Amino acid sequence: MTAVLEVADYTLDYATRQGPVRALEDVSLSIARGEVVGLVGESGSGKTSLAWAIMRYLAPNAIERGGTLRLSGTDLRALKPAGLTAIRGKRLGMVFQDPSTSLNPTLTLGRQITEVLEFHRGLSPADAVREAEAMFARVGLRDPAAMMRRYPHEASGGEKQRVVIATAFACRPECILFDEPTTALDVVTARQILDLFRELQAETGVASLYISHDLAVVSGLAQRVAVIHQGRIVEQGATRAVFGAPQAEYTRALLAAVPRPDVRLTETVPQPGPPLVAVQDMTVRYGRPSLFRRRARGVIGASAVTLDVRAGEILGIVGESGSGKSTLARALTGLAAFEGGLAFEGRPIGGVRAMDRAYRRQVQIVFQHPDSSLNPRQRIREILARPSRLYGGEGDVGALLQSVSLPADFADRFPHQLSGGQKQRVAIARAFAPRPKLVICDEVTSSLDVSVQASVIRLLVELQRSSGAAYLFITHDINLVRQIAHRIAVMQRGQLVETITAEDLATRGPQHAYTAQLLAAVPRLDIGETPDDA
Amino acid sequence: MSGRYLLRRTGLILYTLLVVSVLVFGITQVLPADAATMLLGENATPEQLAAIRERLGLNDPIWTQYLRWLGGVVTGDFGTSMRTGLPVLPQIAEALSRSLLLAALSIGLMLVLALPLGILAAVRRGRPVDLLVSLASYVGISLPEFVTATLAILVFADWLGWLPPTGYVPLTEDPARSLLHLILPVATISLILVAHVSRMVRSELVDALHTDYVRAARLKGLPERVVLRRHALRNALLPTITIVALDVGYVLGGIIVVEEIFAIPGIGRTLIVAVQNRDLPMIQAGALVMAATYCIANFLADLAYAALDRRIQYG
Amino acid sequence: MAELLRRLLRSPQGAIGLALVLLVLVLALAGPALAPHDPEALSPLRRYRPPSADYLLGTDQLGRDILSRLLAGARATVLLALLATALGTLAGAVIGTASAFLGGKVDEAVMRTVDAVMAVPSLLLSLLIVSVLGRGAENAVLAIAIAFTPGMARITRSVALAVRQQDYVNAAIARGEGAGYIVLREMLPNVIAPIVVEMSIRVAFAVMLFATLSFLGLGAQPPASEWGLMVSEARRFMHLSPWMILWPAAAIALVAVGFNLLGDGLRDALNPRT
Repeated sequence: MTAVLEVADYTLDYATRQGPVRALEDVSLSIARGEVVGLVGESGSGKTSLAWAIMRYLAPNAIERGGTLRLSGTDLRALKPAGLTAIRGKRLGMVFQDPSTSLNPTLTLGRQITEVLEFHRGLSPADAVREAEAMFARVGLRDPAAMMRRYPHEASGGEKQRVVIATAFACRPECILFDEPTTALDVVTARQILDLFRELQAETGVASLYISHDLAVVSGLAQRVAVIHQGRIVEQGATRAVFGAPQAEYTRALLAAVPRPDVRLTETVPQPGPPLVAVQDMTVRYGRPSLFRRRARGVIGASAVTLDVRAGEILGIVGESGSGKSTLARALTGLAAFEGGLAFEGRPIGGVRAMDRAYRRQVQIVFQHPDSSLNPRQRIREILARPSRLYGGEGDVGALLQSVSLPADFADRFPHQLSGGQKQRVAIARAFAPRPKLVICDEVTSSLDVSVQASVIRLLVELQRSSGAAYLFITHDINLVRQIAHRIAVMQRGQLVETITAEDLATRGPQHAYTAQLLAAVPRLDIGETPDDA
Repeated sequence: MSGRYLLRRTGLILYTLLVVSVLVFGITQVLPADAATMLLGENATPEQLAAIRERLGLNDPIWTQYLRWLGGVVTGDFGTSMRTGLPVLPQIAEALSRSLLLAALSIGLMLVLALPLGILAAVRRGRPVDLLVSLASYVGISLPEFVTATLAILVFADWLGWLPPTGYVPLTEDPARSLLHLILPVATISLILVAHVSRMVRSELVDALHTDYVRAARLKGLPERVVLRRHALRNALLPTITIVALDVGYVLGGIIVVEEIFAIPGIGRTLIVAVQNRDLPMIQAGALVMAATYCIANFLADLAYAALDRRIQYG
Repeated sequence: MAELLRRLLRSPQGAIGLALVLLVLVLALAGPALAPHDPEALSPLRRYRPPSADYLLGTDQLGRDILSRLLAGARATVLLALLATALGTLAGAVIGTASAFLGGKVDEAVMRTVDAVMAVPSLLLSLLIVSVLGRGAENAVLAIAIAFTPGMARITRSVALAVRQQDYVNAAIARGEGAGYIVLREMLPNVIAPIVVEMSIRVAFAVMLFATLSFLGLGAQPPASEWGLMVSEARRFMHLSPWMILWPAAAIALVAVGFNLLGDGLRDALNPRT
């Protein structure tokens, strides 16, 4: 097989104030026609830099130190701007991570594909429209003619990504780079996009570089995989060989960090007795009355949710974005007004006003983005000392830092001097400072890299064991929640559709159709003998 | 855009004018000037003054006076000027027409200059042209109108003798001479606007050129001029509409100074004369008309924005 | 603070702006001491002099030293503009923060009214206020402060609302912190930075506005050597000595450029993303 895309000994630096920083070192990679090569790495690994280098879209401070980039014999590095426009979009396409920002908000969806057809294939406007409609139909958009006239804000995330994919395939390119094309999408939608990718890829035989941080997704798609770490490709080979018998230390660590539903991480059992928290028919409405509109436009965030959490229990809450899982967290912490019943240790809490200091102390929350949840103008010491100052009790900042495995001298730093994982540890330490009975974890790992995520999860499991606190663990990652939760509540469009123990889910399977749909959509790390799809 | 939005927007304009009317009326009532003395002069007898106060209703509570004034304004009666004794409305209307010509020419000239300059600076970001435009615009926004106007007269009228220093010729009387007299005032008002708007256009366009969708357009292989025109400029120029509308407030302020310096009998000069003579009805009417102009300009800008940007749905 | 200074000096705008503003502040504070002549001293024999070794910037229609007058006037122009901006910012910040914190209908009513007041051009509003309070520098300061208040209220409110959305404020609410702690300790330190940027740019505008009011005869009164007033007086004699106009005009522009540059430099320096 001859390579369509060939990267050989490619080295790239970025000039910074502190001197050049190596982004890519001696990277070699080739993709043949009909082949899907997965490029796997964490943020900062250089995987995106490689994509920009291939697309010849380098940052102004990029310095190429050597190596070759070839597309079917064409030397990409030698191309002048005019030659580049003839290659991009026509012979070399790209699909981006977030369809909501990569489509122009002021042009119709149709225009954004016809412009490519007109320019690269020289079609007349009328022919381009006809061809675009055919492409829209091919990528599974219902009513293509109507979709052509819509603007990006009038389409869903999945529909927009289909348009981007249609555009990438429009000129039948030899090679397409896919840069995390499903990361910004919900599980079920992502699954549909992955299926579409498989179909189109098989049909056109386009050489594909699939860039992702998600090993599970790549394991089900790529014939070959390259693992990139700190600008170097540490391991490359057939997907099954790399994932089944990894040679590089880094690959092994990465694989170990992937959440696997069959591996339980929690050993504790919930305490018997009355529930710690009982939620009865809780409804949360958003929107506030304005001067001109008397009644609040009642957007319902959560509707008549009933659930309870036992002492020492990890209750997982899963659902897609907009399912109301975070709304529940906001209501329980007094950030959103709610209707319905709430009782803590048998004591009824009538509303936000009834949440006294005792309740606040017992119920703590950790947010998704540590960047936003730690005040940038306060030192770590001040952040961690605050709970004890507020609730009383001794506040040993050093001990708190130690409890989350951070060095004591971090106390004098500001949040921006810490990495994302370290910041999240500080936020966790703050939540555990007043020895709460319930800690609400709202997507605490979803902004972190896989390996950091795994260590934060280990920390949370350990803290749960030593403190005996209950968790309300909110996440979109079903594999992860199956590893640590005792029970799992599934939410969809503001409603609780099913609550099931992790054990029952593993042995008897989902009881509700939506849970089944979610589970089916989740990519699994495929390292076994039976191929997932081939 | 719904009828409800238009209704709501009109309501807001009326509320704005109501607040402005209270503000202007309130301020002018505190003015240390007695309308009766103004009318009759210093030598009036106390009896005469009392009589005229009674006749003008100056002894009524202040809110009665306000409502009476507002009632007049609503029915198009802005009262009579204390200085000239003539009705305010025709004078204001005539002055306004002159000022609007000045403002329209200034905004027109500004657009012709500011858009290309801003675009050029953004496209050539970091190059000498960008630096030059940046530098010039820093100086431009730092020169108050009275400085620009004075220097312009010094250079173009006094030294070079190319243009008349001051004065006003109606457009209907002698169009050529009229425009000749307007060159310096228009240039003065435009300078600061060009500096401000070109900076805004530049920064909007620089932002637009860094969006994901412009990157996507480039990576689709579209030539740079198509990327610029179809994908970047469109999104960059939309916010400029709002900026220009907000600058109308600045133009109105500039007009006051420029009309004073160049002796143009527009609304600005009328206001200054009124303030100097404590001519209450004239001050009230002038300020109200200026605020109304600003409101209408912003309303039109919102309508234009909504018509051009499909994302905005006023409900 | 040292970090901020380093970031500020990194951009050319920040470095030049800071240098200009520091220079102007030093001149404003030490001006009278540095002046080579008595700014009020009349020399009927040395009128309309062009710049020379004795009179670096020349003399005016009464034979007074222009440089000395400019230095004396720096205090009036720059310090009063700073004062006006500070007053306006303070008033605006209080209104804006209160409005954002109260929210709901109060917020909407306050903001609609602020918008309405902003429909009156700043210069016109200050003109009206000065005409009520009477001519004079102090009243001009007050007028500029009042004219700036609605704009600053609007900016403070939008910044406060943005900060209000941050999770560290949510975390404080969830923790059960009181309103005082949340506003003072969590929100305020994060609200101040963007307001300082806006303030710096507004000082430039205040200098221009103050000079304009004096030019129109409504601000500083003769024989003060406020720069706008100097331009106004010099107009009558500009064919005799253009220097009399050029110097104060240049001084106003220089100060305004300085504060504009400093504001833009601060904006970049305070932006954590760069």
